[in-house]
Amino acid sequence: MIAVTCARGVELLMDYLEGVLAQDVSAALETHVAGCPRCLAFVESYRATPRLLRDATAETMPAGLARSLHEFLAAHAKRES
Amino acid sequence: MAAVESSDEDLAARAAAGDSSAFEALVACYRERVFRLARRILGNDADALDVAQETFLSAYRSLGRFRGDARFGTWLYRIATNAALQHLRARGRRPVESLEDYLPRFDEAGTHRRTPEELRVVARLDEELDRERLAERAREALQRLPEAYRLPFVLRDLEEMPTAEVAELLEVSAEVVRQRVHRARLMLRGLLSEPAGVAR
Repeated sequence: MIAVTCARGVELLMDYLEGVLAQDVSAALETHVAGCPRCLAFVESYRATPRLLRDATAETMPAGLARSLHEFLAAHAKRES
Repeated sequence: MAAVESSDEDLAARAAAGDSSAFEALVACYRERVFRLARRILGNDADALDVAQETFLSAYRSLGRFRGDARFGTWLYRIATNAALQHLRARGRRPVESLEDYLPRFDEAGTHRRTPEELRVVARLDEELDRERLAERAREALQRLPEAYRLPFVLRDLEEMPTAEVAELLEVSAEVVRQRVHRARLMLRGLLSEPAGVAR
């Protein structure tokens, strides 16, 4: 039986979520997390981190910059044609 | 409208043959994604605009070499990522802040030091902060992340590229990408909980 602590669980988490952990190690991790309220909470916040960052940095291009880009490309296209 | 009726690959073929409206349609379709990628990597609008300009100019000049055996979007994304990487390299090395203090803490037995409520703080952040404040915190945290971690994190987790593709772009193994993305998530999780100072 593989023993998993919270610290070991944190080390293994990415590989577990990517599906590249050996089956027996995955099972040991699942057993530990299921019985550990701290790890359950940690996993929740770990999984939330990329989602939060993705949503919060999904900025649109300001209209002025989009205009600058199109003007820049039009000028180059004209020069190079 | 051309952008609706034609695939990107058709538009690229027409643009390569000199149809400027086809190229404009491609720029209109991809400018947001290219800008967002560059903004996430470089952290400011001016550099992101430079990268967008270089990306589309380089694509325009290389259209004749685009064979259509890859998706146009993938091909363009590769150009954009390389342009952003070149910008980072041109900036030179900046002092790297140690973020070790933001990693999770454990006691001697390997048990989390924090309570479940404290450990869960980041998962509730979008309920506790307004959109603007959260965006500001996210941008700041991302830019504090050392480049070695920020690049794979942006490409893998924010742009949602496959791990193998990120590995190829950054010229490291898939295992290294996974390790760096993992560490990036841990550091960002710690950074995002900073004002509370309790969630590690």
